[in-house]
Amino acid sequence: MAFSGPVLLKRIPNDPQQRKLLRYADYVATGGYASLKKAWGMPAEDIIKLVVDSGLRGRGGAGFPCGTKWTFLPKESFPRYLAVNFDESEPGTFKDRYLSDYDPHVLLEGIAIAGYANKISTSYIYIRGEYHKQAKILEEALLEAYANGIFGQKHPGTDIVHNCYVHRGAGAYICGEETGLLESLEGKRGWPRIKPPFPAVAGAFAKPTIINNVETLACLPYILEHGAAWFKSMGTPSSAGPKLFGVSGHVNRPGVYEDELGIKMSTLIDKYCGGVKGKYRAAIPGGVSMGILGTDQFDAQLDFDIGRKYNVLGLGTAGVIVMNDQTDLVVMLRNIVRFFAHESCGQCTPCREGTAWMHKMLSRIVAGYGTAKDFDLLLEVGLSMGSMPGTTICGLADGANWAVKTFLQKFPEDFKKRLKRDVVPGVTLTPAGAAV
Amino acid sequence: MAWILEDRLKPYQPVRSEPYLTAQIKDHVAGKYFPRYPNKRAALLPLFHVVMHEYGYIPTQAIDEAADFLGLTRSEVQDAVTFYEEFRLEPTGAYVVNVCRSIACELCGHKDVLAKIRDVFGIEPGETTDDHKITVFEVECLGACEQAPCALINEDLHGTINPGDFCATLKALPAKAAGGH
Repeated sequence: MAFSGPVLLKRIPNDPQQRKLLRYADYVATGGYASLKKAWGMPAEDIIKLVVDSGLRGRGGAGFPCGTKWTFLPKESFPRYLAVNFDESEPGTFKDRYLSDYDPHVLLEGIAIAGYANKISTSYIYIRGEYHKQAKILEEALLEAYANGIFGQKHPGTDIVHNCYVHRGAGAYICGEETGLLESLEGKRGWPRIKPPFPAVAGAFAKPTIINNVETLACLPYILEHGAAWFKSMGTPSSAGPKLFGVSGHVNRPGVYEDELGIKMSTLIDKYCGGVKGKYRAAIPGGVSMGILGTDQFDAQLDFDIGRKYNVLGLGTAGVIVMNDQTDLVVMLRNIVRFFAHESCGQCTPCREGTAWMHKMLSRIVAGYGTAKDFDLLLEVGLSMGSMPGTTICGLADGANWAVKTFLQKFPEDFKKRLKRDVVPGVTLTPAGAAV
Repeated sequence: MAWILEDRLKPYQPVRSEPYLTAQIKDHVAGKYFPRYPNKRAALLPLFHVVMHEYGYIPTQAIDEAADFLGLTRSEVQDAVTFYEEFRLEPTGAYVVNVCRSIACELCGHKDVLAKIRDVFGIEPGETTDDHKITVFEVECLGACEQAPCALINEDLHGTINPGDFCATLKALPAKAAGGH
């Protein structure tokens, strides 16, 4: 446990007035691209080993070990692609946007390092369509990087020229799922693919492809600079390193803050965000698909073990959404489920139909026409593997059900008191409980 | 999203003799985007971003022209284009206001923003003002939750919105947008 100051945010001042976009020259003046130069002097295998040793786990949601992912690339199979997942669309998540708003070159340096270590030909930064400004910032930063020989050159010691481009999405959450992203990159609708084959074997354009999150790649320059032991000195044994936490909702100073993994949520909120607005009731630890932390879980440790310890799906993107005691949790769950119903890509029937039906049932409960049967059915679907969770190609349906089941398990009274009353003035109810 | 039960592809609009994919657009896309990908199909999203920027929506005819241009069938292009919400298939007002409705914005009062827009401009989400200046949509998370409630006016993000000030900003905009969508 040795977090002594911001790592990823070291170039971004705390005071919003002083923040500005760092250009290439500013970045180099503060030690930028030194790690890349160092990497170019090392054998590629040593970099991969360093990343494996550092214990860096993916920052995009799943927490898969980054170095291990790289080792899945089949040997001597070229060309290889790197797809940078900047489709940051999960409600509550905005950490990557913040990084590229002010310090885009740290991402580009990470891409260049990953590109060299894995002998990548082309890197695509898949950025969500709504990030107009960020796409422009990255395009400009790329021009600077090309002009300074970061891209468009052969990787030292090889004949592989490394190019890097920005590829804009167009408003689809599912394109943040790695194979949905690849489909979208290829100019198709963003329907996730059945795995295997895994992207490391047949990814973009059926070639070996690595997909990494923006923040994961942004960690690489610092790992190269300070070493694996330094990185591991932060966080917990299973969750090494610093982490960006995006805090939103009912807190006094919402924003992106950095601390080590394993920090207590209460510490994060009190130390950085000026405390909860009102009285704490519940929080979502990392994007809405992760489920909800209860009133007694305010001190939850935010690391990759959070799922096992606190009955949520996981840390996700560490986009913490805080809710105070004035919040209507039933309405919030309906909001979450509406999001999933809207963003379901429609490929798998259980998800396409299931999310829409869950939304209908929750709307019914919000309106006061829900029945005890609705409550039981929502919980049953959420809890049983094979009715909706576990029956689909990607994890969207699972995420939706984690939200539903943890809300119902941790705050049952909020829902139960909203269930059907016998008399609703002016409305006749059918036996099924639907309004006529 | 794609499967939602509305036919996103509108009845065939009248064909105009002048192509939507002008030589200039084609040269731009072929020069800038084709070299980036191993095949032409991958330039589909960049191409339609250019079309959106140019026309503010995607005319049906442009889908046909894009199919010829990219060497795809019309159905392949249609299949992809109708999937993405940002690709609007009908003309909109000069300013498209995308108000975020996801959880952080709902916690912080996105409904007040929509209510104020309704009061001031008389439009609900999905509608356009009579002078074709403003179209408002409710969209899912814009990735700016710390600035909730937030909205995009064309390409510009407006955060920590005060509904009254926001509508005043909209009112003060010139009738014709300077930038693209």
